[in-house]
Amino acid sequence: MGYRPRLAKRMLFNRRGSLIGAVLAVTIGILVIHVNFVIFQGLYDAIVRDIGDYRTGDIIVTDEDSFITRSDLAVASWFERNPSVEAVAPRLSASAEINITKGGRLIEETRVPIVGVDPYRDIRASTVHETISEGSYVFARNSVVLGTNVARDLGGAAVGDSVKVMIVDRWGEEQVRRLVVSGIASSPGGQGFDYTVVMHIDTLRDMMAREGETGSFMVRMADEGQAAAVRDLFLRSFPNDDFVAETIEEASEEQLQGFRSGIAMINMIGYFGMMSSAFAIVTIQMMIVNGKTREIGILRALGARRRDVLVIFIMQGMLIGAIGAGVGTAAGLSYTFYAKETKMSFNNSLPLEVSYDWAKILQTALTSFALAVVASLYPSYRATKLVPVEAMRAV
Amino acid sequence: MLRARGVTKSYGQDETRVTALRGASFDIRRGEFVLIVGASGSGKTTLLNMIGLLSSPTSGRVIIEGVDTTRLGSSGLAAFRNRRLGFVAQFANLLVDLTILENVMLPRQIAGGGWARGDRPRRDALELLRSVGLEAQAAQRANKVSGGQAQRAAIARGLINRPSIVLADEPTGNLDSVSSESVVRLMKDTARRLNQTFVVVTHDREYFGEVDRVITVSDGRVYEEEDDPRVAAATATAATRKREVLP
Ligand SMILES: Nc1ncnc2c1ncn2[C@@H]1O[C@H](COP(=O)(O)OP(=O)(O)OP(=O)(O)O)[C@@H](O)[C@H]1O
Ligand SMILES: [Mg+2]
Repeated sequence: MGYRPRLAKRMLFNRRGSLIGAVLAVTIGILVIHVNFVIFQGLYDAIVRDIGDYRTGDIIVTDEDSFITRSDLAVASWFERNPSVEAVAPRLSASAEINITKGGRLIEETRVPIVGVDPYRDIRASTVHETISEGSYVFARNSVVLGTNVARDLGGAAVGDSVKVMIVDRWGEEQVRRLVVSGIASSPGGQGFDYTVVMHIDTLRDMMAREGETGSFMVRMADEGQAAAVRDLFLRSFPNDDFVAETIEEASEEQLQGFRSGIAMINMIGYFGMMSSAFAIVTIQMMIVNGKTREIGILRALGARRRDVLVIFIMQGMLIGAIGAGVGTAAGLSYTFYAKETKMSFNNSLPLEVSYDWAKILQTALTSFALAVVASLYPSYRATKLVPVEAMRAV
Repeated sequence: MLRARGVTKSYGQDETRVTALRGASFDIRRGEFVLIVGASGSGKTTLLNMIGLLSSPTSGRVIIEGVDTTRLGSSGLAAFRNRRLGFVAQFANLLVDLTILENVMLPRQIAGGGWARGDRPRRDALELLRSVGLEAQAAQRANKVSGGQAQRAAIARGLINRPSIVLADEPTGNLDSVSSESVVRLMKDTARRLNQTFVVVTHDREYFGEVDRVITVSDGRVYEEEDDPRVAAATATAATRKREVLP
């Protein structure tokens, strides 16, 4: 090893406090970014995941301004011919009034969102059925699944209870059915159908007087990367229908936009954290330089040029940056691993969608390394200002 | 080999201006062992800094091996110091982050442009450490050896690039008498063995015995005395014997 890297290393390593302080500064900067990513990107991805899983799939097909009149079979079989499509499920939505008689008392709820599903298709395209905490899905036509909040508002409706559901049909007539509660839906994080009532789509069609009509189709891809291509193909294949087909990102754009700028801001805060790490490095290196005044003088007396002194301290900055980036990235990855393995959840409810974004991890490590090197420039420059007479100074 | 001509050094500005050295002129020839003596604050260190090219004179010239060093820039001076001069200070001579061996190798590595190159510097450094009796301490960190050992290591370091002159500022100033004597013996033996030029500032004249020349600094002026052993004992009081070398 040349004398410059050797001195860069030893001057740092022989002062434990400086070494630990400088490395910790970089580490914390990186860790903050990783933790932010796990929590906020994880939250964002969890919301996207839940919107997709519960409501839109990877592609959502609707009609421009009305109901879809093409048959379930026609639309579903078109999609399912494509090997990159996993499943397709029709859905129909409305708003209902619902009441229950419990212990001789009538409890009524108005304006409850109601969704009609084809249970056999739905369990393949959506995970709503997995949120049924008691009972089963709406396999029977006279059954209904209550969101846990709806059940609570209905005075604690339970599986086996019978409820009356009232809907206004397309002609303005009130249609009432007595249905049996087959299950209660409760999703982690409450992003599912906790505030919704689910019933068999054919029952709902019947009540709405919309035989064979559908509100939307949610398409679950086997290969999510093909979603946009399949969507385009679909629209080209049905040019005369007024279909609207959107990928999940397009469909939930409005919902996610605000969230994204929030994440951008939190990332900014992370980068500011990194900047303050850089200031910590400046301080620590200035301490090292000030403590080595005489030794730098000796080096200069022995013939080291200003440039050599500069190189020594910049190398030291690189060392701090490299160790800090290494330790910080390791710490960040450990945290990410922990979050993933323990299925960490936000607010103790919504399970975060934890992922490793290698490009971002690398970018964070490189940024903090570069910042450490930049931070070392000023102390290095100051070190070059020390003069060789320092070597001979008495005291 | 070294010629100082009218070397003057002032510190500070205007009313706080201190002229530490006034028109010092003298020559030093190859192989000479020269002592610089004088009262505290008389300008000895300042003189050594001038001929050691550690700081530049306010006026006057220092010519070493025919090179007018006042014409050199910062990098040129650094290279000159590296190849032609060796330094031994009063204390804290060594870089404490390095081992004794690494300290001794340092001027050679600096000369090599900073990159590790071959085994030669290491072998030469070990050889020098053997000659100063520090073989056993080679791998020790510089802050783990005694003051006398550190001075011997500094002398070894001062010799590694085979310099024209080794400059020492009170090399025994921080040592007990036993260590002082051994450091002085080392310098004098080395001077004789290698025909190495030494310029040594000291308050401990008695340790050095007979030397080639003694330069006295008094209030920034340089005087020279013939180092006649018969009168050496009397020099301390015989200020009248001092004669100014040049006006
Ligand atoms: N950097 C400086 N700035 C201002 N004045 C200085 C500086 N260095 C030395 N001096 C002054 O110059 C004069 C000579 O100082 P110098 O250090 O050369 O003396 P010295 O003979 O080496 O003394 P000592 O025997 O105590 O080491 C003194 O008056 C001192 O105060
Ligand atoms: Mg002095």
